[in-house]
Amino acid sequence: MTGSLLLQSLVLGVLLGGLYALLAAGLTLYFGVMRVVMLAHSAFLILAAYLAWFFNVQTGLDPLLSLLVTVPLFFAVGVLMQRLLISRLRPATLTMMSVLLTFAIALVIEGALGLVFSGTHRRIQLPYSGADIRFFGASVPVVKLIAFGLAAVSLASLYVLLKKTRFGQALRATIQHRDAAQLVGINTGRIAGYGFGLGLATAAIGGTALALDSTIYPSLHWHWIGPLMAIIVVGGLGSVPGAAIAAMVLGLGQSLLQLPLGTTWAQTVFYVALFATLLLHPQGFFGGRLAQRF
Amino acid sequence: MRSVSDPARAAKLVGLLALAALVVAFPALAPDPFILSVGVVIMSYAVLATSWNFVGGFTGYISLGHAAYSGLGGYATALLVVRADLNPWLALVLGGVVVAVLAVPIGVASLRVRGASFVIVSIALVLITLLVFQSWGDFTGGSNGLRVPRPFGPDVLRPEQHERFFYLHAALLAVALLCWWAIDRSRFGSGLKAIREDEDKAEALGVPTFTYKLVAFVVSAFFTALGGGLYALWFGFLDPIFQFSVLTGSYLVLMSLLGGVRSLFGPVLGAMITGYAVEYFKAQYGDTQLHLVALGVLLAAVVLFMPDGIIPALRDLLHRFRPRTASIREVSQAELAEQRRAGTVEEARL
Repeated sequence: MTGSLLLQSLVLGVLLGGLYALLAAGLTLYFGVMRVVMLAHSAFLILAAYLAWFFNVQTGLDPLLSLLVTVPLFFAVGVLMQRLLISRLRPATLTMMSVLLTFAIALVIEGALGLVFSGTHRRIQLPYSGADIRFFGASVPVVKLIAFGLAAVSLASLYVLLKKTRFGQALRATIQHRDAAQLVGINTGRIAGYGFGLGLATAAIGGTALALDSTIYPSLHWHWIGPLMAIIVVGGLGSVPGAAIAAMVLGLGQSLLQLPLGTTWAQTVFYVALFATLLLHPQGFFGGRLAQRF
Repeated sequence: MRSVSDPARAAKLVGLLALAALVVAFPALAPDPFILSVGVVIMSYAVLATSWNFVGGFTGYISLGHAAYSGLGGYATALLVVRADLNPWLALVLGGVVVAVLAVPIGVASLRVRGASFVIVSIALVLITLLVFQSWGDFTGGSNGLRVPRPFGPDVLRPEQHERFFYLHAALLAVALLCWWAIDRSRFGSGLKAIREDEDKAEALGVPTFTYKLVAFVVSAFFTALGGGLYALWFGFLDPIFQFSVLTGSYLVLMSLLGGVRSLFGPVLGAMITGYAVEYFKAQYGDTQLHLVALGVLLAAVVLFMPDGIIPALRDLLHRFRPRTASIREVSQAELAEQRRAGTVEEARL
């Protein structure tokens, strides 16, 4: 193994970890505001990827421009989904049933994508698709850099939104203690809806970033469910920083393990980490005081 | 007391006998081998859904990953026949035992967490097994699949083979149902149901919750593996994509929820309805992805509108037309919480 190859894996691992962090942030938002494990997150990811591809094919414009449509659209869908479906479930069985409900939504999305766009593998062709930047002997594809940039900008704005705005304050209060938040006059139902919408908006960005450099097909979301779920369990359910750290660590681990093991076996790093977490530290390794009870 | 329960008991007995007679007569009534093979598939679903219900129904832990155990059972049986040259029926039972032993460490790891985390782990299990069985080609046949030799000689024709396997599945189903029924009436079963309603309180009352959950989990995995193994012997071919599929796991959950996880025959009824629908959709729209949409919509509808299932809903309907009995009805934690909330929600809205 040469030094430059190792460096390349490191760089790619960090870039991948950034994307994972963005997607896992969405999952922790859902879990935080509603105690919902959203299995449809990766299906929405693929949906956004398809919309970006379709936008590119139809208009010939850069797929990143499709974000102008998909982000508000996904936000609205998220709010509606929370208000119309999730909030209808019985509180006592909310966590379990929401898993099944969101799983059902994922199946509907996968089936609908298959019906509309067929099962054919699709890929966006861009003028900068093949370009890469040389960096101390490592070559880093431009599209991966763009994806990482998108993830970084979205995570930073999410951070500012949560920490600096009144809405962010209300959202954090709802996550921390719903009843208390209600007592100080926060309309927690509406806030939970917005939180859900925010989570889904991250899926729109992540999916578009994903579409830039991977081949997409309707059942691709299965490949994402495992890693994303492993990340939020390792990070501790409901903890945004925990998820971000776990995403970075596991993304790097996957990228480095690809050298000796190959891509398929490198995937197992997520599952090994998942089972190790359950055996050693069931509430997750980074924060996550909520995890054990849900 | 007896005078009240006797007619009900008689009705149950008659129903049970009618069901048994229907099962016994089905192969003779089936118009062609295809319908007979659909009957075998539905029977197999009924076995798997009933096996699932040992965990899902008693403890309330919803596993989307039981396809891992049916797939492992199928592969264990097939590999024991192919690689170790074992008698197929011996391989079937041995395969079930192997999977049950495997389920112990898996259960120890995954039952440490509740609710959502448990579901995540169950999905992860299917994805891992799929990954392993696809990649480990020289032992499992990998993506090319694995041919399972037929247990009966070549002189047994296909319709006859379907008929024999229909009865074999029915026998396995009967054993699984009997086992569920016995647990349901036992102290062990009460402990499991206490876990379902409120695990912390059950633990406080001295129920050894972890051991109980683990035993139920292993029993469930054992029956699921037998179901998978029997199916493998019948179908004769294993492909990791279909054996280790979260979709299969979700069918089992849908069937059990639809019929009702609290009742003995709930999963069987659910399997008959869903299994028929699935086979119909595959036959009619096999080339499209419409069956995914149908499954998704059905699952969402059951979760939203009928989380207790058909059998309890029908029973409630019947109870309306009958004088109220004095017996203590089983009220779930969810129902209690619902009743309590009914008063408070209105205030919160203001």
